[in-house]
Amino acid sequence: MDKTELRSLVEELLRDLQPSAKPSAPNKEVRENFHDGILPDITAEDLREQYLVADPHNKDAFMALKRKTPARVGVGRAGARYRTTTMLRFRADHAAAQDSVFSLVGENFYKDNHFPFVKTMCKDKDEYLTRPDLGRRFSPESQSIIRNLYPTPPKILLVIGDGLSSAAVEANAVDCMKAIRQGLGSIPLGETLFVQFCRVGASDHLGEITGAEIVCMLVGERPGLVTAESMSCYITYKPYPGIPESKRTVISNIHRQGTPAVEAGAHIATLLLTMLEKKASGIDLGRMQE
Amino acid sequence: MTDETLLSVGIDLGTSTTQLVFSRLHVKNRAAAFTIPQMEIAEKEILYKSDIHFTPLLDDSTIHGSGVREIVAEEYRKAGISLADVDTGAVIITGETARKENAEAVLAELSSFAGDFVVATAGPHLESILAGKGSGAEEYSREHRCTLLHFDIGGGTTNMVLYQNGEIYSTGCLNIGGRLVKVNDGVIVYISPVLDGLTDLQVGQKVTEAELLPLCKTLVNALEDMVIGAGETIPLSLRTTALMKLPEKIDVLSFSGGVADFIYTDSQEDAFRYGDIGVLLGRTIAKSRLYSAKTIRPTETIRATVVGAGSHSTQLSGSTISYDGVEFPLKNLPVLALSEEEQSHLSDAIRKKRAWFSSPPAIFFPGWKNPSFEQISHVAEEILASAGDMSPLVIAVGADMGKALGQALVARGQKGLVCVDSLSMGSGAYLDIGPPVAGGAVLPVVIKTLIFEK
Repeated sequence: MDKTELRSLVEELLRDLQPSAKPSAPNKEVRENFHDGILPDITAEDLREQYLVADPHNKDAFMALKRKTPARVGVGRAGARYRTTTMLRFRADHAAAQDSVFSLVGENFYKDNHFPFVKTMCKDKDEYLTRPDLGRRFSPESQSIIRNLYPTPPKILLVIGDGLSSAAVEANAVDCMKAIRQGLGSIPLGETLFVQFCRVGASDHLGEITGAEIVCMLVGERPGLVTAESMSCYITYKPYPGIPESKRTVISNIHRQGTPAVEAGAHIATLLLTMLEKKASGIDLGRMQE
Repeated sequence: MTDETLLSVGIDLGTSTTQLVFSRLHVKNRAAAFTIPQMEIAEKEILYKSDIHFTPLLDDSTIHGSGVREIVAEEYRKAGISLADVDTGAVIITGETARKENAEAVLAELSSFAGDFVVATAGPHLESILAGKGSGAEEYSREHRCTLLHFDIGGGTTNMVLYQNGEIYSTGCLNIGGRLVKVNDGVIVYISPVLDGLTDLQVGQKVTEAELLPLCKTLVNALEDMVIGAGETIPLSLRTTALMKLPEKIDVLSFSGGVADFIYTDSQEDAFRYGDIGVLLGRTIAKSRLYSAKTIRPTETIRATVVGAGSHSTQLSGSTISYDGVEFPLKNLPVLALSEEEQSHLSDAIRKKRAWFSSPPAIFFPGWKNPSFEQISHVAEEILASAGDMSPLVIAVGADMGKALGQALVARGQKGLVCVDSLSMGSGAYLDIGPPVAGGAVLPVVIKTLIFEK
């Protein structure tokens, strides 16, 4: 191969590597999904129904497996990496999780539902996240509000706390609480208290302030990538500050893809009636039922 | 919550044989820790398989009722199990036996004789479903993610079920079985009326294996026609049910029932040792296009239906349910099933359909995933407006909402109520509900599908 030949070969290769002179128009799919300046919401798609593998050997079989797990499997790949959709969805879910930790439960949530409002000793979200001890206690002012709300010790004190997910509380707490009240039937119940900057341990101080026999708290769970809307219910029989955690009963995973809020509420109501009868919660109750 | 077991009995009263099995069903909580329990039948263990008895008949149209009862009583004794030990189970009367004059009476008597919550079942579609489950064909289809057509070939009928990835696609039944012709000392002693016009053979005629082969071929041809999608050519007298729908492609065939043993293994012994054409029919199938590389042998053959009745007929309701003021078991409730469309105007739909039932039905509707409290309240009002006079009021829902709905009904003054969820059933089904298990958390139910519609 002489020099000229080599040169022409290199020129040809370089020409092939050049981007074509005209920039290509966005592909059809992008154009169709992009109108009025609003992009489609990628988080709206149910991941269990999303399958991105090209030319699957047996898609039906894989879909049957996918329905059993929220894991991001069957997502295909681009070279050695995720496809753009997968990457964006991951970041969107992560953002939703962060948002629900850092945002506050909206004012109309407790105003519209007539839940009396108190907050723990934390002054903002930052303090709430960095000082768990303050999220379990109430200031003297808050204590007197609570005392006025419950002048006589309630049998069951119903509480909604924001916890680590405002989205979970907004999505599930109202329906769940209504179902709990319905299931408790004739048991006299005071108002449902809303607690801002609330840790589970706030139950214990509430128990001490009100003298409640049981404190039942719905609280937002630390969000994950599967859902930011998962709520838990913590129930403590005769709580006091310093009570061992083993004396609490917890029902977790209350959300649209887990236990539906109303069904969880109905279950919690029955559980509360059992606790009143057995006078116990947590592993004490578990032992009695064995 | 500690795990619990249920002792279940299955009794199959078939055209040619009567069998019984005892199984232990292990009820386990499958939910993750700190969530609401989710009880499931996690394991099924067969404890005892009876001998295989000929079904005692008084004559061609009557079952020998006390003879059947003696067999069952003897098997209970041999297994060392008393009636009080039995928690659940099913008696199924199958094939030609189901058409005997006293079939219903024998079935009812036997189910109450066998235990408090042992339910009576019959019907070709249900038989197909139980044989498919009991044989292991359903599991094979699920595990291997394939389309599988299963035949349970008994004395009087062939029950078929088609699975796609473990889900039932369709069921059907043909009047093809090993005991359509009975032979004694080389003489035909019985020819089933379903063979009228299909053979020239006569009762009283001396007959050889070779002379019976053409008839066996006719019967096997009908099965082949079924598989290749030419079901319309099957003579009407051989059809028990409407022709089943089949998909374009079938990956695997499997066989169970008494005849199956002669498809998979043939000892070359006397073809008439059971006094019928069962052996010949099995051999003919083994030589036909039905027996190929696509054919598998399921776990159970002759015992498929009885294992289905014993181990697979009972299921559990969802784990958050309501019941109040009801004496269990509730037996044989006809199901008033509503579609997704109908449940959107629930009270009208219930009012319209309940007139069809002579006894109070169980009301089934698919329900809503993650309903709001207002929706639950509305549904409760609609039910009470159209069925509030029923006592007990039995509601079954597909979606997980039974406990909330039940409490909403009780809050509105309903007395005598069962509200179960996480179940699926269609029109024409019957429902039996047993006494609570797992500390009262769940109810065992038996859903008897009489019509299968996809």
